[in-house]
Amino acid sequence: MTLLYNTLRWLTDPAHWQGADGIPIRLMQHIQLSAEAVAIGALIALPIGIGLGHFGRFGNLAINISNAGRAVPSFAILVIAFQAFGLGDAPIILALTALAVPPMVTNSYVALREVDADIKEAARGMGYRELAQLVRVEIPLAVPLIMAGIRTSAVQVVATATLAALIAGGGFGRYIIDGFATQVYTKVLAGAILVAILALATELGLSALERVLTPRGLRSLQAPAARRATAYKTA
Amino acid sequence: MNRKLLLSLTALAVLAAACGGTTAPAAKGTIVVGGFGFPESSILAQVYGQALAHDGYTVTYKLNLGQREVVAPAIKSGQIDLYPGYAATDLEYYNNKAGEATGDVAATTAKLNSYLQPLGLVALSPSAAVDQNAFAVTKATQAKYNNITKLSDLAPIAGQLTMGAGPECLTRPYCIPGLEKTYGIKFKAFKALDTDGPLTRAAFANGTIQVGLVFSSDGDLNALGLVVLQDDKHLEAADNVVPIIRTAVATDNVKKILNNVDKNLTTADLVAMNAQVSIDHKDPDVVAKAYLQAHNYFV
Repeated sequence: MTLLYNTLRWLTDPAHWQGADGIPIRLMQHIQLSAEAVAIGALIALPIGIGLGHFGRFGNLAINISNAGRAVPSFAILVIAFQAFGLGDAPIILALTALAVPPMVTNSYVALREVDADIKEAARGMGYRELAQLVRVEIPLAVPLIMAGIRTSAVQVVATATLAALIAGGGFGRYIIDGFATQVYTKVLAGAILVAILALATELGLSALERVLTPRGLRSLQAPAARRATAYKTA
Repeated sequence: MNRKLLLSLTALAVLAAACGGTTAPAAKGTIVVGGFGFPESSILAQVYGQALAHDGYTVTYKLNLGQREVVAPAIKSGQIDLYPGYAATDLEYYNNKAGEATGDVAATTAKLNSYLQPLGLVALSPSAAVDQNAFAVTKATQAKYNNITKLSDLAPIAGQLTMGAGPECLTRPYCIPGLEKTYGIKFKAFKALDTDGPLTRAAFANGTIQVGLVFSSDGDLNALGLVVLQDDKHLEAADNVVPIIRTAVATDNVKKILNNVDKNLTTADLVAMNAQVSIDHKDPDVVAKAYLQAHNYFV
């Protein structure tokens, strides 16, 4: 109980909200590392998942290969990448990207596979070509599942970005590593709480983004029955 | 009855053979040399052991025993007779971390002996060789700032330099607080890395830090182009290499041999010998033998 109270005091101490080791700077570092890794991961994973899902080929192969990546601990990737790239952000970005890719590949593949065959046929019947059908029909319908994959990746990445501190990087992991080294456990707990809050904020933020990106028709389909009825009426 | 007679006869015969067969120097007794679980300790144990063996003692080794928590009980119970100790760290072990170790090696060893005596142990004369926390700069940094050689040279220029060490350095008296208090050194910035590990080496290599915490006897210091700055105001506790031995074994002759080794042993010797084990992958006994030969102990 005193530990919790002291941690709260640590978090509210103005001294911890300024300077190079202050919470705002560490927050920016943490977000930067995580965002870079998720963005790079999305650039790799989404085209693969969407492409394979659209054509319905090699899906199991891609999912199995990217899942094998999940089996390699991020810490191991970090240490090996440190040997290769030395000090800096590159090793942690690499480790986090490897973590970010599998959920996005799997989810976007499944999302595209789940698009109703009748809808695809209708699109083709209305004269959509391959690419137009993918971009204007299939992907919008797949948004909820694709976004769920991105959300899963992002939350994992935010939580795992704490590892950066192990190789002298920034972010909230610094509080955990430094607090442990100096046996200031309130600092360790404060760091963990900050990471948890950021992960939660990431989850909520991406959920909001998902709602915005989901097509209106689909949104009303997912809404509770009562609201759905009124939505149809007004539409 | 017959059987007993036979046994005693055999024993007598063996004894006679043992006495008659010696061509080497007359055996002076057996000494068991122990060592901690890291290469430098094995090297030092071999240096002491081979010097004793050369004088006719039968030496056996129990190396890589692990931490002091294993080695100290072993010597107390007589399972080993001798181990290469470190004055300050051993003092802080035997006094239960009372914080009595200082930068003064003579005082630290005397204090250590006051704790060892009741245990039937004694620390001999400490050598000049130290394995302790040290602050290193690259040769390039050294050249850039008028060939600094000691920590007091660092005070006026520290404002331009970044220091790297494990995160705990910020609060430990031997590290940042001590540097500030004893030397008036205030660095431009501090980079949390590791304690004398790969991060510190990488940070030196890419110029992230100019000053870093290392151990004074690291074998790769020369290869990395690092220079240890002399601790001229004795901030660090005196971890000089010192043989710790059971009083029953410490005859005048044994003391003379070990003191003779310690008289010449330097930190540079430790660095060179550690390098041969850690970088060239030679065995500690080979390295120790070469050292003793080079310093004319075997003539």
